[in-house]
Amino acid sequence: MLDFKQSYFELFGLPEDYNIDPSVLANSFRELQAKYHPDRFVNSDEQERRVAVQTTGFINEANETLKSSRLRARYMLQLKGVDFDDEIDTTSDGMFLLHQMEMREALEDVPNAKDPIARVDDIAHDVEAQMDVLKESFVEHFAAEKYAEAKEDVLKMKFFERLCQEVKTLTEKLEDEMF
Amino acid sequence: MALLQISEPGMSTAPHEHRLAVGIDLGTTNSLVASVRSGVAEILCDSEGNALLPSVVRYLENGATEVGKKAQDNQLEDLPNTISSAKRLLGRGIKDLKTLGGSLPYEFATASSSSHGTESNVPQIKTVAGNKTAIEVSAEILKTLKQRAEESLGGELKGAVITVPAYFDDAQRQATKDAARLADLKVFRLLNEPTAAAVAYGLDQKEELSERIIAVYDLGGGTFDISILKLNKGVFEVMATGGDSALGGDDFDHAIAEWILEEALLEDTHNTKIHRKAMIEARRVKEALTDNDEVTVNLEDWQGSLSRSQFDEMVAPLVKKTLMACRRALRDSNLDKDQVHDVVMVGGSTRMPVVREKVGEFFGQPPLVDIDPDKVVAIGAALQADVLAGNKPDAEMLLLDVIPLSLGLETYGGLVEKVITRNTTIPITRAQEFTTFKDNQTAMTVHILQGERETVEENRSLAKFALKGIPPMVAGAARIKVTFQVDADGLLNVHAEEETTGAKAGVEVKPSYGLTDSEIEGMIRDSMDNAQADMEARKLREQLVEADRTLEALDSAMASDADRMLNDEEKKTLLAARSELMEAKYISKDAESVKAAIKNMEKVAEFYVARRMDDNVKKAMAGHNVDEFNK
Repeated sequence: MLDFKQSYFELFGLPEDYNIDPSVLANSFRELQAKYHPDRFVNSDEQERRVAVQTTGFINEANETLKSSRLRARYMLQLKGVDFDDEIDTTSDGMFLLHQMEMREALEDVPNAKDPIARVDDIAHDVEAQMDVLKESFVEHFAAEKYAEAKEDVLKMKFFERLCQEVKTLTEKLEDEMF
Repeated sequence: MALLQISEPGMSTAPHEHRLAVGIDLGTTNSLVASVRSGVAEILCDSEGNALLPSVVRYLENGATEVGKKAQDNQLEDLPNTISSAKRLLGRGIKDLKTLGGSLPYEFATASSSSHGTESNVPQIKTVAGNKTAIEVSAEILKTLKQRAEESLGGELKGAVITVPAYFDDAQRQATKDAARLADLKVFRLLNEPTAAAVAYGLDQKEELSERIIAVYDLGGGTFDISILKLNKGVFEVMATGGDSALGGDDFDHAIAEWILEEALLEDTHNTKIHRKAMIEARRVKEALTDNDEVTVNLEDWQGSLSRSQFDEMVAPLVKKTLMACRRALRDSNLDKDQVHDVVMVGGSTRMPVVREKVGEFFGQPPLVDIDPDKVVAIGAALQADVLAGNKPDAEMLLLDVIPLSLGLETYGGLVEKVITRNTTIPITRAQEFTTFKDNQTAMTVHILQGERETVEENRSLAKFALKGIPPMVAGAARIKVTFQVDADGLLNVHAEEETTGAKAGVEVKPSYGLTDSEIEGMIRDSMDNAQADMEARKLREQLVEADRTLEALDSAMASDADRMLNDEEKKTLLAARSELMEAKYISKDAESVKAAIKNMEKVAEFYVARRMDDNVKKAMAGHNVDEFNK
């Protein structure tokens, strides 16, 4: 039976490092699934099948967490005893929030631009670049054991995640109107 | 004669015992069953060699059922008791009936309490055999397929893989599983239809690419579905689905029929018989054009011909509509056309060369068409069933599904908070903590929703339950943990508990639109009672009822218009057949002879039925014009 106490990194045989190799993650995810998936236990008893569902649930949760740049960062902090709920907790960096408002206003303005599609593409690239800066900042803070600052980075990532979603929705809407 | 096998006690089962397993394509129009025999997946046919089982069930007064072709043949005479397209109702609530259109010819029971005593949201169709749900109707189809499989494989089934559309939500999947349970069929797995089609082509076996994008184009008789799948190291992920639930092969028939009526200068005719003939001829012409460049067309005295290129032009707008849906699905999955590696064709209507050609042009590659498009889904399901049954211990195939729609909870202000987002690989368990918002609050309503929208009204309500017995505390002190567990079939279980005091108040939830366990048990009990009844006596009873119906129909028809429509000679022939049937009913004690007498009666009365039907059509059409009958 799988050890549910081990960390997600241990589960997939990965070093506890923010920069993970996605192909190692994908391969060991597949190996674990092949071994523990409920489809391998259709002829087993009720107890074994329940365990299979729980085990793959654990594997899937671990995979979803490590695949996402924000959830991976939050999980690494959790392993260091820094636990928080980013649904409730939020950043108090005034400058950052102001900048977020500006980005959102820019997004709302897109339909009025001369070439809305080109404009929304520009914003998308900008958002991505800023997200990359945040990731680097997290890695530095984490390595220096500055966990409070690292937590701030994670909270900010959440804003960018929402922004990315809005950019995507807007792009789809603009493309739909074109056809 | 087989040699006796001697084995040690406890070692009686042979190590390589083949476990019988099938794949079932439970379709809206037709259903199929397939199995792997000697390493090859094949469709199992009925005793007459038919592969397709029309998904039609007719309920008779004595509780017996007709399933498939027989039910379909009798459909027009017994519309209220003959249920087709039950799949459209699976997992749907009473409220959904309105949006499904008033086109359903059934009468729904108004009271929501079922015959098994418990309250239920499941719509019930009134039939002569009592109220029936879409789940029970689907179970009849599954029973028929199960029986067909056991007869042709010569043994009891260990289990089945049943396919469902990729966009089916939790309630619809649960309803499908409930139907299988009623049919006493063990479900190894519910499998997405497009995934099954990709498996049939062995696309999961191709290792040269680490990631494949597969488009599954499914054009059936009345529906069109497009699915974009991503296959990554054995993991099938549904990236997007789309389509049109009111576009299919029937629309192509309509286009030809309109053309025929115009050419034959009959477009203004009020004769429904001619319209029906035009539709039948249109279907024949459409099918003939698959292998011929030009086909002769006949209607009444008119004769003409239709070329492939004329036909292609005629139906171009319909094909274009499907391609627009393909474009949308690609955009939903953030992909370009040239990123698609394979295009799989499903559904009988993809046999049309024009469809294959245009789809090929759109995706820039010829679509896969080697496997019969009617059978490809069932074949893929059979391959998966064979692996799951354990017949291929070395098989690598593992199909991981994702959840098609997000799951969440209602929070303050009618908003939905997502707990599990769509496209998460399943099975998955996830917990979320909530708290009370009033002092001394001892109960809390947990409302579970499925969908992508922000507000409660715009999502699908799956279940609602109350968590009681929270110890009185100040607002915000209680910690209520709500746990969602989704299994490999995409089915959901939810528990809620209060954590600070260790007081547990967990509830297991069934979707609002599903059946409760006690309802299912009641139905299983009922069906067992039926099976235990003496088969022969039941058959006779069926035929006696049928005899009464036939007699009643004849008597009432003759009472109303025999004098107007029949001459003396015809009346005499009918009455002679009638007395033969009466005799069979009272004297003979076996079902077969009663059945023969009924058949004879029906045959003799055929001309009379036709005459009355024409008369009715004339009356019904008086004052209408032909356009009203075209759609």
